[in-house]
Amino acid sequence: MPLYGSLDITQSPARLPTLANLDTEAWTLPRAETMQLLIEVPRTTTESLLPKAMHPALPSYVALAVTKYPESPVGPFNLAVLRLGSRAGAHPRGFLLGAVASSPAAAEALRTRWGFPVEAGEVKFLRRHDRITGTARKDGRTILDCALVDPQPVAGSDVQYINWVTAANAPLDGQTQPMLIQVDPKYTFYKAERGKPQVSAFDAAAWHAPNVTLADPIIGTCCTVDTDLPRIRFVMDPLKPVFQGTRRIRESRADE
Amino acid sequence: MKFGLFYEISIPRPWTPEKERTVYNNCLEQVKLADELGFDHVWAVEHHFLEEYSHCSAPELFLTACAVLTKRIQVGHGIVVCVPEFNHPIKIAERTATLDLLSGGRLHVGTGRSATWTELGGFGANPDTTKKSWDEFVRCLPRMWMQETFSYQGEFWSMPERTILPKPYQKPHPPMWVAVTSPGTEIDAADRGLGSLGLSFAGFEEQEKKIKEYRRRIQSCEPVGAFVNEQVATTNFLFCHEDEKTGVEMGKKLGNTFNYLATQLISTREVYSSPSYQSLGLLPALRRAATGPDAGEQQTEGMAYGDPARIIRAVKKWEALGVDCINFILNANEVVPQDQVMASLRLFAKEVMPHFARKSGQVAAAAGE
Repeated sequence: MPLYGSLDITQSPARLPTLANLDTEAWTLPRAETMQLLIEVPRTTTESLLPKAMHPALPSYVALAVTKYPESPVGPFNLAVLRLGSRAGAHPRGFLLGAVASSPAAAEALRTRWGFPVEAGEVKFLRRHDRITGTARKDGRTILDCALVDPQPVAGSDVQYINWVTAANAPLDGQTQPMLIQVDPKYTFYKAERGKPQVSAFDAAAWHAPNVTLADPIIGTCCTVDTDLPRIRFVMDPLKPVFQGTRRIRESRADE
Repeated sequence: MKFGLFYEISIPRPWTPEKERTVYNNCLEQVKLADELGFDHVWAVEHHFLEEYSHCSAPELFLTACAVLTKRIQVGHGIVVCVPEFNHPIKIAERTATLDLLSGGRLHVGTGRSATWTELGGFGANPDTTKKSWDEFVRCLPRMWMQETFSYQGEFWSMPERTILPKPYQKPHPPMWVAVTSPGTEIDAADRGLGSLGLSFAGFEEQEKKIKEYRRRIQSCEPVGAFVNEQVATTNFLFCHEDEKTGVEMGKKLGNTFNYLATQLISTREVYSSPSYQSLGLLPALRRAATGPDAGEQQTEGMAYGDPARIIRAVKKWEALGVDCINFILNANEVVPQDQVMASLRLFAKEVMPHFARKSGQVAAAAGE
């Protein structure tokens, strides 16, 4: 059967974000602009980054995304994330390896409400006539400098965003414990473009992915969307195969 | 109703030369028996890099072995990838003609364009243009087979005048098909006069709609070849057992294993935003069905497993919908032991096949063995 990840997140719970509860209220995030670059990476560099419950995507790939959220309950902020392409059972997922938010309030909220491994830093999203650029700086160092080069219009229906999985501690059955949390935003597209991914700076260690080397670019997209961060619906045992260890926390949203 | 076998050639880890050889030999043994039992077709896919799911990257070699080992069963490329980075059209024409000669005119040529990033990216192909290159290839192939000399100037390939040799045994040429997974491809098949080689596991209602539309459109088609190949084939799992419960349990295990492996594939749409791949192909249905390799409950309707009576009911339903041929997947990751696959084939031939009108009408004595 398919390969599994080798990361045991229960061995280092202190390194994981901690949620006070799983009753996180949803955020509505209108008119977000999100640039996502998909890049293949060597399989050997990702094996130790994926929880044991999940399957690796073959070939291995990562998604680098820089998003500008002009409105949120904590005000405008930018967010840069690194996700690892993977499978939760039969479903494609992006396992969140690292993130930087441009405001401390956003970083704190994302960390404690959805369990994102996010730190505060400097994140910029800039649109130029021939490219869209994203940069992230942490502790005075540039850890990401990337661009979507020569964006060309496509339909929103051409773009597929996959759901996220993050590792965090959260209370369940009366005990705070490490678990995997599914975050499944919805998207309404206003504008979509695609182009060539270009990365001029990538500090893998700063993204908690020390061995990852970016190898073969796949494609980049930049979309303007209404999106959200929804209530948590599913959590997963980090050590059991997802099809055996998934628990539904609440029913699906009314619009699903 | 015709019956066929459909091979992905799925091989579980850990891979060893002996294991890969054993699985290939198991498949050949099944094909030989199927030929004796009166099955009509054996199809083999062309897939590359799809770990465990399919190790069938050189189907023309496997099908040549099938042809040499058998007498009647027809051999089908299911499918040849019509993308220049995968296969040069001249080589396709030459290989298929050779296989048609070696099989004594038993070849069917399925065509398609690949659906996974794993494969397209591996060959450095541009997903935006695969439908266009497929269209160009399927219009060239019949002429390459039939014309004494051939020259061509196209968007994806060109050649000066040459004689492409050998020519196929079948005249004017072998029947042509197209793989139908994405919604709407059945229309592409119909408009070109090609057979619809269904590779998805959609339920009755969805298939009925597709078949009706195919039958309607093909009446006014402009065939790319010398004749219209109006046929609808669908894919199914087969496990036939005297005891219904045993048959259903093993059939579900087979189906769940196949589906789960398939859902691990990286569809082109998952990573490469392109108007050419708006559909996920067969994956959404498989993801609904495959809650896990041991999933017990969710199954697509119309599956050909259980006891003979149950399978007869399913096949009758497909027949009533207008399906001309059902191609069966017999194994996935070797979850069904080889002796049980062979017994299942024999029981199907003995108890199920006689209930369906068949051109060959042959159910060999081997069924009773």
